[in-house]
Amino acid sequence: MSSVTDKPAKPASTAVAASPGRLRSLLTNQQFLLLVALAALVAYFTSRDSVFISSGEVATMLATFSELILMAVGETYVIITGGIDLSVGATAGFAGVVAAFAMRDLLAGHSPEALVLTVGTVICAAVGVGIGLVNAILMNWARLVPFVATLITLGAATGMSLVLTGGAPIGADAAAINLAAARIGPLPYLALIVLVIVAVCWVYLHLSRYGRYTFAIGSNAFAARAAGINVRRHTTSVYVLSGLLAGLTGMVFYMQLGSGAPSSGNGAELPAIAAVVIGGVSLFGGMGRLTGTILGALILTVVQSGLIIANVSPNYSQVAIAICIAIAASLQALRPQNRSQT
Amino acid sequence: MGHRLTTSRLGRRSVAVLAVASVGVLAACSSSSSGSSTSSSTSPSAKGSSGKITIAFNMGAEADPFFIAMNVGAAAEAKKLGVNLIWQGDPSVYSPATQIPIADQLLAEHPSALVIAPTDPAALQPVVNQALAQGIPVVNVDTHVNDISKVLSFITGNNQQGGAVAADAMAKAMHYQSGHSYQVVVGMSSPTTTTNVARLAGFKAEIAKKYPGIKIMSVAYSESVAATANANVNNWLTKYPNLKGIFAIDGTNATGAAAALQAHGLVGKIALVGYDAYATNVALLQQHVFAALIAQQPTLEGQMAIADIVKYLRSGKSKAGIQHLVTLPNIVLTPSTPASVLAKYTYPTA
Repeated sequence: MSSVTDKPAKPASTAVAASPGRLRSLLTNQQFLLLVALAALVAYFTSRDSVFISSGEVATMLATFSELILMAVGETYVIITGGIDLSVGATAGFAGVVAAFAMRDLLAGHSPEALVLTVGTVICAAVGVGIGLVNAILMNWARLVPFVATLITLGAATGMSLVLTGGAPIGADAAAINLAAARIGPLPYLALIVLVIVAVCWVYLHLSRYGRYTFAIGSNAFAARAAGINVRRHTTSVYVLSGLLAGLTGMVFYMQLGSGAPSSGNGAELPAIAAVVIGGVSLFGGMGRLTGTILGALILTVVQSGLIIANVSPNYSQVAIAICIAIAASLQALRPQNRSQT
Repeated sequence: MGHRLTTSRLGRRSVAVLAVASVGVLAACSSSSSGSSTSSSTSPSAKGSSGKITIAFNMGAEADPFFIAMNVGAAAEAKKLGVNLIWQGDPSVYSPATQIPIADQLLAEHPSALVIAPTDPAALQPVVNQALAQGIPVVNVDTHVNDISKVLSFITGNNQQGGAVAADAMAKAMHYQSGHSYQVVVGMSSPTTTTNVARLAGFKAEIAKKYPGIKIMSVAYSESVAATANANVNNWLTKYPNLKGIFAIDGTNATGAAAALQAHGLVGKIALVGYDAYATNVALLQQHVFAALIAQQPTLEGQMAIADIVKYLRSGKSKAGIQHLVTLPNIVLTPSTPASVLAKYTYPTA
């Protein structure tokens, strides 16, 4: 229904599993298994302390999720084309810092908060798009592989953040913090905005020609070119999209922290890539679902918060997270069509 | 199948507009940054000038606010005494792997003296030994190599004492009374950051000694990421509804914890004691978001290191009047600290 190489079993997934065949396909459906894993984790952490499913804690987790998911969505597009974007975390940090300088000056001039945040968002988006373009230029014109090209921008953006700020956070915007914390029930408004962006990206990836081209390129770039797709232009736009979403993440960081902290994106590319991998998107490109990435990001968020709620010693946390990733990622092997394809 | 989103052309145009805007932003940033970096460091080419003392100063992460503040103190003292200062370290990585090649390079330029803040006590020992063998006197600042017997002086902040005064400040802010119990948590960067470890040890020792009612419920790591520190505190606030105090053990944790208290409307209700007097943190202290801030004295450390070296070199290499080990206390700043004192301890930016 959507992409060139998408899973054949998917279109019927809305139907209730009735026949034994349906049941088996449900049990080997990775998305379903991820959902089971997520439910099991939630059940476990809730059993350790019921406060885990309180509306305040859910809001906290959605805030953490908002910091991760936009980068993970951009990474999903990039990985589906068969590439990788290591620069997303650094881009988020750098965009947040650049925007924070402008917002600090506007606030000092008593500009209204709405204007300040709008300007900040535009700057974050622009910086993200700029870095995405640099990535694309390094790949398409300097002929660097994605890993190297985005490693260069990762280093450059991280360094620039430090040069600009001297390592200290920029700004102290209490109004932004309060806006980021405002919520309906357990759902922060900021997370709602992020979820709308994610939904748009889902439609674009799975229901539009743009998405079909993305899958086609990752599946077989030569065939895609032969079929008339402008591969260079399309991959450029995918890296620009990834940069844009990473830049917007910088704004999410700013709002939650009330300042542009140069460290906020440090290492953030790893959980973003982990969410994509847990979600079952093939690192070889051409295959995957954005819903998988969303589930992957939810699992990472639940584990991160859950370990604190369950009061697990922080020295064990990293190991526990690694085990969760290993279990979730190995679920991929259970998928029969996956076995035959790889 | 039938879906056809015809927004691609519009999308392309808006992407182009944003791209142009971002190039402008990037250009603006790069020009402003080059301006600031040239003003912060003294030209390395100055070493050759006849007979003038040239001091090489080498540290882990040059862009750390702590070292930027140290640079300000060192540069001012060097200017006052009329000596050259070469200030060089890796821009952002605090690691012996990046520090050693830079230190070797500095020694190859035959400076009159070397001031070094080693990132690892064992790994940087050979660099110090080589300098001494070349007849170049060495001062250690902030951190030290294993064998400091031949090092002219070692000037450092007292992190253990800093942790202890943090406990005192927290107890005072939550009006500690014996017989009551108080839940507190500690946010640190990682279990291997030596300054963090020393501060936590001092904090725990002081609690054991004076405040038996204070109970450390949990410790979590931020991996030096403010957003992670923020998430940790948000989680603690749900987990421990009766939380009375937070010790944010370094600048990153302070940023994350301050934002979490503001987001939950708990400013003034939970005693937040943070570390490092960044300008933003001092502003938050004045708004009572922090009950106290513990400040180190990097500017003074840098100044004293230069003063020691110059005194030694100008007195015909006599160690008279130079203290071998100088431990500068960490300073407690509170909302009631006079503004002039706050200004004195706020880390200057280059």
